[in-house]
Amino acid sequence: MSAPARSRENHRVRRWLRALGGVAAGITLAALGMLAVVLLLNAGRSPDAGISASSGLVSALAGTLWLALLTAVIAVPVGVGAAVYLEEYAPRTRAWRFLASVLTNLAGVPPVVYGIAGLALFVRGMGLGPSILAGGLTLAVLTVPRVVASSRRALASVPESLRWNALGLGATRWQVVRDQVLRAAAPDIVRGCSAALLRAVGAAAPLLIIGAAGFTTFAPASPGDPLTALPTQTFAWTARPQAGFPALAAGASVTLLFVMALIGLVLWDLRRRHGEARR
Amino acid sequence: MTAFRSSAGAPPTDPRERLMGGLLLGCTALAAAAAAAVIGALGLETVRFFADVPLSQFLADLAWTPSAEEPGFGILPLLAGTAQIAGGATVMALPVALVLAVFLEFYAGKRTASVMNAAVAALGSVPAVVYGYFALNFVTPALKGVWPGLEAFNGISACLVVGLMILPTIVVLSREALGAVPRSILRQAVALGATRERAVLRLALPAAWLGVLGSVVLAMTRAVGETMIVTLAAGNPTGVSWNPLEGVRTLTSFLAQASMGDLAPGSIEYGACFAVAAVLLLLTFGMHALGRALVSRGHPDGPGGSRS
Repeated sequence: MSAPARSRENHRVRRWLRALGGVAAGITLAALGMLAVVLLLNAGRSPDAGISASSGLVSALAGTLWLALLTAVIAVPVGVGAAVYLEEYAPRTRAWRFLASVLTNLAGVPPVVYGIAGLALFVRGMGLGPSILAGGLTLAVLTVPRVVASSRRALASVPESLRWNALGLGATRWQVVRDQVLRAAAPDIVRGCSAALLRAVGAAAPLLIIGAAGFTTFAPASPGDPLTALPTQTFAWTARPQAGFPALAAGASVTLLFVMALIGLVLWDLRRRHGEARR
Repeated sequence: MTAFRSSAGAPPTDPRERLMGGLLLGCTALAAAAAAAVIGALGLETVRFFADVPLSQFLADLAWTPSAEEPGFGILPLLAGTAQIAGGATVMALPVALVLAVFLEFYAGKRTASVMNAAVAALGSVPAVVYGYFALNFVTPALKGVWPGLEAFNGISACLVVGLMILPTIVVLSREALGAVPRSILRQAVALGATRERAVLRLALPAAWLGVLGSVVLAMTRAVGETMIVTLAAGNPTGVSWNPLEGVRTLTSFLAQASMGDLAPGSIEYGACFAVAAVLLLLTFGMHALGRALVSRGHPDGPGGSRS
């Protein structure tokens, strides 16, 4: 091929790449836009009076906040603690590596499987019934491996020299971990925890399996109350084909997204302030 | 690394050191206990199930109808459904995601990239049940305009929306793999007379291809486990159909449908749910391990990378 011909060819390749990229970006934006428009349009329609009188979201909202709290309080310390131990303390023997890989790869197991396990362990085994507590424990158990996996990655990307330098200056092991390693890995750890937590808040399948109610008459005030949450309420209304329910389901979806955005914003702010204070 | 760990070969004498070490070990023990409880609970009921249903029937039967008069306990129809959804979703998502990853990594301007990053992150954080609503109330009616013969519950709509859901996984992880290719190599190629396009397509993409493959495997893992979209949009047919215009039943949607009825503990349907959950556990665990191994190959600093 002569030089001018090759140059023309390369121009064509570049134009094609750019055009394809634009199309892919357009498809992505269009899908997101359609999703938003469909939700908002449907949520704006008012359902029939007969349905709307018996379909508030207060109890589902309270349930979701309870579940988020329980999951965060249990899964974040346990998951981050385990990741720190596995990465910074445990000897690299075969047994410890096996445990680390099991805990990490459980992060790929879908929530619905944890729902089945939660049914056997918490609802039946511990006799908790389909309660907020059983739901919170199930979500915590499914969140721990995700927190372990992302925190391990964050800790592993901290340069080794940081540890050696601190040790060389006389720091103890915990001082190295607390003042150097955790501080360096904090933004990534918090990012991973937020993602795992938001995934748990939006999860409908495990709660459905352990028996979330699609209809409750009072808001849960303690962890022993019957399980209800925004994702399962969204599912219950989406699965009903009668007129009026699509509007309700869209309303529940928008509320769920709003709650998730709010939680995400709080965590983002935490990360930002944390990062600034530490630097 | 080994030296840093074994440097405290003698137990620390400082009580604070001992306390923190103990606390962290306690967290690990709790996490391990939870994992063992999950695996144990599924294993126990699955073993009980296989006392009633022989393994050969489970693997070879061509019908999955646990509640029928003459129940069928063959896992193959459910596996076929899962393969259809996961495969279809990947086929839909892969071209768009891969082009988008290359475009964002090498071509897009700063502003375009930041807008697209936000859009991809937004798509990645939408809960599955909301996607399910979208599939049932928008995608299926819209597709019906194209194919009037489309059933109300069908595979194609579920595939499209599951594809949308797994798109961010492929985009983000493929970009990481492409970004991990040393820029110096690409610059050297350009300095030697290669065009930018050549450097990207012939150098960066082949160098990152294990990581890209890993991102696809991890995305497929999510598609295999996806429950709500499939349950809401693809229905619950008992037969196997390879026609995307008809309904599909997967491992996950069977679990969701079965749990909506009353599951009596000890019944054969109850055991069947645990057997299906155990199959899902093994499948996704293995796929996740494979995907992570591939991704960390292209990533020197991940676990399983240079440090271990």
